Amino acid sequence: MSAGFAVYRRWLRDRRLSTFSWTVGLIIMIVATAAFYPAFGSSAEAFVGGGSSAMNAVLGLGSGIDPGAPLGYLWIGLYANVLPWTLMALGVAVGSASIAGDEDTGTLEYLLAGPVTRTQVVISRFAAAITVLLVVSVLSGVSMAACLPAFQLADATTITLPDGTTSIAPGATVADIVNGTISSFAVALGLTGLAFLIGAVSGRKSWAIGGASAIGIGGYVLYTLSSMTSSLDALTWFSPWRWYVDDVMLINGLTPEVLIPFGTATVSLLVGWWVFLHRDLQTS
Amino acid sequence: MPAAIETNGLTKQWGDLRAVDELDLVVPPGECYAFLGRNGSGKSTTARMLLDFIRPTAGTATVLGGLGSDPAIRARVGYLPGDLNLPRRMSGHEAFEYFGRFRNLADTTVRDSLIERFGLDPSRPVNELSTGNRRKVGLILAFMGSPELLILDEPTSGLDPVLQEEFRDLLAERKAGGATIWLTSHVMAEVARVADRIGMIDDGKLIREMTFEDLRHQATTEIILGFDRAVSPDEFAGVASVTGVEIDGDDVRLSIRGPVAEILTRAGELGAVRIETEQHDLDAIFIDLLGGAES
Repeated sequence: MSAGFAVYRRWLRDRRLSTFSWTVGLIIMIVATAAFYPAFGSSAEAFVGGGSSAMNAVLGLGSGIDPGAPLGYLWIGLYANVLPWTLMALGVAVGSASIAGDEDTGTLEYLLAGPVTRTQVVISRFAAAITVLLVVSVLSGVSMAACLPAFQLADATTITLPDGTTSIAPGATVADIVNGTISSFAVALGLTGLAFLIGAVSGRKSWAIGGASAIGIGGYVLYTLSSMTSSLDALTWFSPWRWYVDDVMLINGLTPEVLIPFGTATVSLLVGWWVFLHRDLQTS
Repeated sequence: MPAAIETNGLTKQWGDLRAVDELDLVVPPGECYAFLGRNGSGKSTTARMLLDFIRPTAGTATVLGGLGSDPAIRARVGYLPGDLNLPRRMSGHEAFEYFGRFRNLADTTVRDSLIERFGLDPSRPVNELSTGNRRKVGLILAFMGSPELLILDEPTSGLDPVLQEEFRDLLAERKAGGATIWLTSHVMAEVARVADRIGMIDDGKLIREMTFEDLRHQATTEIILGFDRAVSPDEFAGVASVTGVEIDGDDVRLSIRGPVAEILTRAGELGAVRIETEQHDLDAIFIDLLGGAES
């Protein structure tokens, strides 16, 4: 077994319990949200067209999204906010822990006293952080897919529009959930990469958590405010919410923008690796 | 054969602080070199540069003829940090397995004998162990691969006197087996039995290097002579081996270095009624030397 794989496996092993806890928590949230759909359907009309542009942005209620339809419900109830936020929080936690967390506690130094290179540590830890995020994301998607038939979310629904006409909204499919899961994973992946980058550059976990959280929350606030005034629009270019909420990939399918966080994570890995290779380890 | 450790002008500076200042050091293979200095004098910083945890501001450091960043070199080095930090919940046994795997240590004979020798329970998580037991884990990790070079930062810190003795025995065995040992300490007596040579560092500078034999010769002995009358210091002027005279009532305190025959003859001539000897221990010498460096 290579040294890199041993580091990767050990890091995952040390996070078995926390990964399990995140997964269980997320699944409970998913099941609870799905289970509420049959009761929600009748009161969905209250949501349509009643909110301000900022409130709609917060809820992810873009044009053509009907909260009474299965996909619309899942979007505003889970995929527009709760799921990506949860995955982003997990991403920041594992991204900041991968290098900076162990450097803060001094455990990284002892690991590097052995025949392990810094490059092996960077790659294996980054891969391990992404693995945790991927496992939790996939399990959330699987649990969501399992909930579809159980809570009428797979069924087509008749929607009454504001003008009194009716239309048939399709039920949610596994393919929709795959799209939603990939886009949620992607938005969290970008922030995971940034948390990793700040940690690899600074060696300080608190900086990594603070910096990545500031980017995530700041991007969200700016995006929400930009729905009220176009003058802020230019500032939202770095916000992952801009493409995530606008594109609504759960409903509309994947768009090329989903690749942006993969690019962010790759660049973060390369820059973090290079800086980590050339800097001093912090003392614990 | 290259030196086990060699530094040339090794310097580490953080802002205005020069933690290590142009350190020139050569430790030949098979030697036990004790790097002594007070807390914050630059010992651990030097160790961390040797293993490439931090990079020198200037100068070079080689370990076993290569760079500390080379994993092939580090595979031949056993390291005990001043403060051992292992992942939370990792037990001693897991630590031995995990870190042993990097060195392909399939044979656990040495490891198991060390566990028995130090009386360690390896099943408990390291973060639940006492300071002394964590130290044992660190020592076993450092020694279990029978490395060619041991870099030990304050190795006996936290060990009780019995285990300190056990550690010194172990060090002597490894030295006899050909290992090179570089250890830091701020307690000279701790390294007295095992070190061939010492280097003293203060404020990042290597202020003195000497063999332990040289050091012992520097040890000043004092003889206290009791009289039933007051004696003048001049009575000992020109007496061989006397390096200092102090009068304390009817007692005369002589600092000596060398043979004492002439002193005893003079004491008899002056009618001394009592004689006591007192030898400065190694730590007192350590303090003297560092005091001298400050002045």
